[in-house]
Amino acid sequence: MFPVELKNLYFKYVGKQTNILDGVNLAINKGEVVAILGLSGSGKSTLCYCMNGLIPHVYKGELSGESLVFGSCLKNMKIADIATKVGTVFQDPDTQLFSPTVEDEIAFGPENLCIDREEIGRRIASALEQVGMTNHRLASPDHLSGGQKQLIAIASVLSLQPEVLIFDEIMSQIDETGKTRIKEVIRGLKKSGKTIVMVEHNLDNLDEADRVMVILKGKLINFTGKL
Amino acid sequence: MTAPTTLDPRTKLVMVLCLSSLAVFIRDIYVLVGVLLLSFLISVILKGNLFPAFKQMKRLLLLIVVVAVAQSLFAPAGRTIVALGTVPILTTGGLIQGAEFILRMAVIVVSATIVATSSYREIVQGLVQWKIPYEIAFMVSVAIRFLPMLIEEIKDVMLAIQLRGVELQKIPLRKRLRIYSYILTPIVIGTVIKAEKLAAAMETRAFRAYPQRTSYMILKMASIDYMLISFSMLAFISVVIVYYMWGI
Ligand SMILES: Nc1ncnc2c1ncn2[C@@H]1O[C@H](COP(=O)(O)OP(=O)(O)O)[C@@H](O)[C@H]1O
Ligand SMILES: [Mg+2]
Repeated sequence: MFPVELKNLYFKYVGKQTNILDGVNLAINKGEVVAILGLSGSGKSTLCYCMNGLIPHVYKGELSGESLVFGSCLKNMKIADIATKVGTVFQDPDTQLFSPTVEDEIAFGPENLCIDREEIGRRIASALEQVGMTNHRLASPDHLSGGQKQLIAIASVLSLQPEVLIFDEIMSQIDETGKTRIKEVIRGLKKSGKTIVMVEHNLDNLDEADRVMVILKGKLINFTGKL
Repeated sequence: MTAPTTLDPRTKLVMVLCLSSLAVFIRDIYVLVGVLLLSFLISVILKGNLFPAFKQMKRLLLLIVVVAVAQSLFAPAGRTIVALGTVPILTTGGLIQGAEFILRMAVIVVSATIVATSSYREIVQGLVQWKIPYEIAFMVSVAIRFLPMLIEEIKDVMLAIQLRGVELQKIPLRKRLRIYSYILTPIVIGTVIKAEKLAAAMETRAFRAYPQRTSYMILKMASIDYMLISFSMLAFISVVIVYYMWGI
């Protein structure tokens, strides 16, 4: 049973002429780090939405094929169940953080799952430790750098304890020091056994990848060194 | 008072509700001044951020003239100060009405600074513990949080247009409205896209998974909160009673 499995996936957004995903197949092993490359607009984010359930639960379109996490079909899963299996960090830090303090931000997910307070406290502490931001627990995300915001975004997903992590170009708006720290965190997560999908457009960020794939004309193929 | 900034947000909400309803009901300029002074005092004690409120009020001061003239024209009362032939332009009654209007607005503006001394997460939690559905409380708070961003963006675009030498004031109204719609459309679309992304991010973190949710933050009222809430309500009720028994 694969943590992530896409079988013959086709997807077309409402009002669009062509399939943005045109027969995608992918199986990711437990603990594997898979990088996905592709030009801007090639459908990388769309592919992520298929792996975290935003398609078909939030974004609508014509979908066929299957998208499975640990063998269950995302289509039939509830948001709460998906959230504890797949965590997603998005490209833009400013459209995924919304709480007045770092602590509130990280507590948000577990609160939605009705987890009890003591456990939430433990999870906040552990998530902050994993991203090395323990000192910023009571800070306001507004006052952090872009790189630090992404670390908090990672932490606020980790508090849901998902086994699969999807990082959709999370370093594209971040300066060099920020990137270095994020890469360190990704290395730590890999060591702790998480299965990771990282969408990238920068070839320098692929150090941790076990496998590199590329989206081309709606198909996912092995990367051979050229885009 | 001990550490007044740690007052429960619900206490602040009750105080502010009392103050602003007084401001709306009362038609006595002296009482209004009193209510405004009290609001100021509370805001200062709670270390409210009054500076932007002052700036807003400076703009409101212009309105006092408009309201005073409008009142004098349509509902002349008191002594006429300025007249155009037989038509009174400014009357003492109008002036007082204008001043009352500004006082009411000022109470509301200052009240907002009182509430703003709590973080909006605390306010949401206060509302939730008052049994307001968390989805509603949460959505309102996120909207309030992103409003300043929207205003900044609109200001930026307006500035950019003026920097290109377009003098909006000199353009006829109809054409100006069209320019505004050109400006606002992309901003509104951008905001909707941002809101959608935010909603999607919240969804992947299990927002609305269940009808209930737990809260890591828990508000507990201290005795000072109970005291202040009782005092505010008592004061409010007695002012209303006294005012309506003696005033009318
Ligand atoms: N919610 C949506 N509705 C309609 N079209 C969309 C939506 N999201 C993305 N698209 C379109 O799908 C295409 C692929 O987008 P995306 O998956 O974001 O690409 P990438 O992440 O590789 O840049 C783009 O042409 C985009 O316009
Ligand atoms: Mg993308």
